Amino acid sequence: MAGVKETLLGPIYIARAMLTTLKHNRKPIVTIEYPERQKPVPPRERGRHILHRYADGLEKCVGCELCAIACPVGCIVVEAAENTPEHRVSPGERYAKRYEINLLRCIYCGLCEEACPYDAITMGPRYDLADDHPDKFIAVKEDLLEPLSASISDTALPTAAPSAQPVARKW
Amino acid sequence: MAAVQTETVTLTVNGQSVTVPKGTLILDAAKEVGIDIPIFCSHPKMAPVAVCRMCLVEVEKMPKLQPACAVYVADGMVVKTVTDQVNKYQKGVLEFLLINHPLDCPICDKGGECPLQDQTYQYGPGASRFTFDKAHFDKAVPLSDRIVLDRERCILCWRCTRFSEEISGERELALIQRGVHTIIGTYNDEPAQSNYQGNWTEICPVGALTSRQYRFISRPWDLDRTASVCPGCAMGCNIQIDARNNKIGRFQSRENVAVDDSWLCDYGRYSFPNFQRESQERPRIRRNGALEEVSFDEAIGFAADQLTQAGGQVAGWASPSDTNEELFLFRRLFRDVFQSPHLDHRPGALPDPEPEDTSLPIADIEHLDHAILLGGQEVIDAAPVLHLRLFKSQRKGLIVHKVGVGEGKKALDAVPAEAQAVGVLATEANKSAAVELQSRLSKKVKGSVRRLMITTGPNGRGAKDLGILPHLGPGYVSLNGQSGKGRVEWPGAGLRAVYIHESSPLHAFATSDAESMWLPGLPLLIYHRFKSSPLDDLAHVIIPGHAFTEKDGTVTNMEGRVQRIKTAIDAAWVREDWRVMQAIANRLGAGWTYADVAEITAELVRALPPYAAVNQAERVTWSENR
Ligand code: SF4
Ligand code: SF4
Ligand code: SF4
Ligand code: SF4
Repeated sequence: MAGVKETLLGPIYIARAMLTTLKHNRKPIVTIEYPERQKPVPPRERGRHILHRYADGLEKCVGCELCAIACPVGCIVVEAAENTPEHRVSPGERYAKRYEINLLRCIYCGLCEEACPYDAITMGPRYDLADDHPDKFIAVKEDLLEPLSASISDTALPTAAPSAQPVARKW
Repeated sequence: MAAVQTETVTLTVNGQSVTVPKGTLILDAAKEVGIDIPIFCSHPKMAPVAVCRMCLVEVEKMPKLQPACAVYVADGMVVKTVTDQVNKYQKGVLEFLLINHPLDCPICDKGGECPLQDQTYQYGPGASRFTFDKAHFDKAVPLSDRIVLDRERCILCWRCTRFSEEISGERELALIQRGVHTIIGTYNDEPAQSNYQGNWTEICPVGALTSRQYRFISRPWDLDRTASVCPGCAMGCNIQIDARNNKIGRFQSRENVAVDDSWLCDYGRYSFPNFQRESQERPRIRRNGALEEVSFDEAIGFAADQLTQAGGQVAGWASPSDTNEELFLFRRLFRDVFQSPHLDHRPGALPDPEPEDTSLPIADIEHLDHAILLGGQEVIDAAPVLHLRLFKSQRKGLIVHKVGVGEGKKALDAVPAEAQAVGVLATEANKSAAVELQSRLSKKVKGSVRRLMITTGPNGRGAKDLGILPHLGPGYVSLNGQSGKGRVEWPGAGLRAVYIHESSPLHAFATSDAESMWLPGLPLLIYHRFKSSPLDDLAHVIIPGHAFTEKDGTVTNMEGRVQRIKTAIDAAWVREDWRVMQAIANRLGAGWTYADVAEITAELVRALPPYAAVNQAERVTWSENR
């Protein structure tokens, strides 16, 4: 007679399950639709490097190569040149004419950031660095430099990645 | 010079006993037992001044600390270089030096090889207590077109001013103002004229004096360093080629007491842009009037075929900056393979060379009492570092007579009969006058009279020794009737081909008027060279070769000293010059089998025993073997 008992209790089970579903429907969702949306990263995240500028747009990097010599895997190449009144890149006498990081070799240890005497290079928040060819992982100066518009203040922190925003309900 | 019996003294440094000759400085005595005393102002080639106070040490029974760079040792002295008091003074000296030092190491060319950096790490205080604004001075002041001075970085060690007073004698740099306002400068801020300015950058213990050419080019740890010889002139100063990414960044000096005494001239030091390769050039041959690119093998085949057609009517010119190994093969190629005696390395007509032209070694100038520069300044210009040796000797008592080439009589009268050792220095062009003066002097004075002829190019002497001459074979042997024609006689000699080999644009084949009339009509011109020149337009075969800085080999300086040069810049895609010569010879049936440069050197030494000096970096002496 088990069949009779289950027939009678069935709707109750269903009602209980529905209750659970309805309860969760009121909570916010936790799934993030990567890569359209990304999780906020901690402020000291060691993602892809950023080369910074001063408020007036001049580059902070002087091409001293201390980051390159501090780097344990030797993935930074810097070549310096002299500023002239006609071609001024950084405030002092010297600037980095060439600045390249091999992002495939980089172990994201942050020692370059520690070594830099001018806070010119910091580890940024970007970690989504997939691409389809090894050559595309040689980040040149243009890739690493902060865009001119972003240099709002001397002390500007690395620009944050698009953070996870509350997702509008679709139903 | 008779060996002087030197008195010795024994002292104790940090508990270690050391015996040194009397008149040694504490600093040098400590070095004997491997104890390093930090210094800034002291320099082994200059008199002590003890202005930086970095070398203070404790000496027992002396009330205060003593500067090790200026106090001579005494018997029984007890020196302590590592005590609390010494340490405290070293920290204090460094703290004072750094008060106004800008510490802009990140943009300073000396950073990474800077004694101030190193010693601050080793002996200095970790932090500064000075919280006020630093004194500011001018930065990046051009002292000349070669030197940049940063007055903030200067620690007033006086090394540069002492160089200009004691080493070059030109007194161009001076300390201006007093106290904290003291700066280094030239008279009236006029650009410095000296030909020895590059040395200031090497002796400056900070980055105050730096080279314009090397400015921001590299960091010391990026450089690949290769020992070599300066390609500038026949002096043969030893250099270190510092290259970054296979590109020369600078020439630095490399001390050889017998030759350069650790200095270089600016002409040689700053000549390296001439040796930068601009493009990856391929061999070219002229077909129907136009040059076309071909492979090395094709160019060699073409050259060999054309040379066969020319028969023995081939002349060869090898530049005086080729290595001995290349010259050895070049001579064999002409004398043995082409059967042609028309061989030369000289820019024009010159008096015949003789082994006696090197009877006065460079270092022996210091032991002369009279030196005659026949041709005056011209002699110095031909081998500029010679001036520093002469000036050093003058400070020790040498009398230098600078006379014109025609004024031998004046020099003869000026040298007294009781002179012990007399030297005659002249360029090889003025050799006849020098030999005449030498023989007249020998009759007049009691002592020896020797001469030193300044050849052209870093290996002009080697070219003569190896017989790149129309009328002399290797070792100056006479060719007994088989003499060929020298370069000046080539136009109009009915030649059908010329092979020019040169590895340095500094000593290239510069065409004379007669040659520029003659060369365009020549049926075959093979131009085997490092850098392109107007001769390219006339050549029928152009074979790229290695530069002086891109190959291994040996070169012989004007006094006959054989020194090695090594590959500093890799240009492996260019076939080595000697391999090209070997290939041409083998196409003509020679059967040479040299596998590397060392084999050629070995054969050269077998053929010419005095060149055993190669392996000892010694002078080639011809006395018995002729
Ligand atoms: S993060 Fe580390 S490995 Fe990467 S470039 Fe910087 S120092 Fe080199
Ligand atoms: S990023 Fe910093 S450490 Fe690296 S070269 Fe530029 S200034 Fe020097
Ligand atoms: S410029 Fe250099 S060598 Fe000259 S006094 Fe200053 S620190 Fe010494
Ligand atoms: S003297 Fe001659 S060899 Fe010496 S550095 Fe000058 S050019 Fe070079």
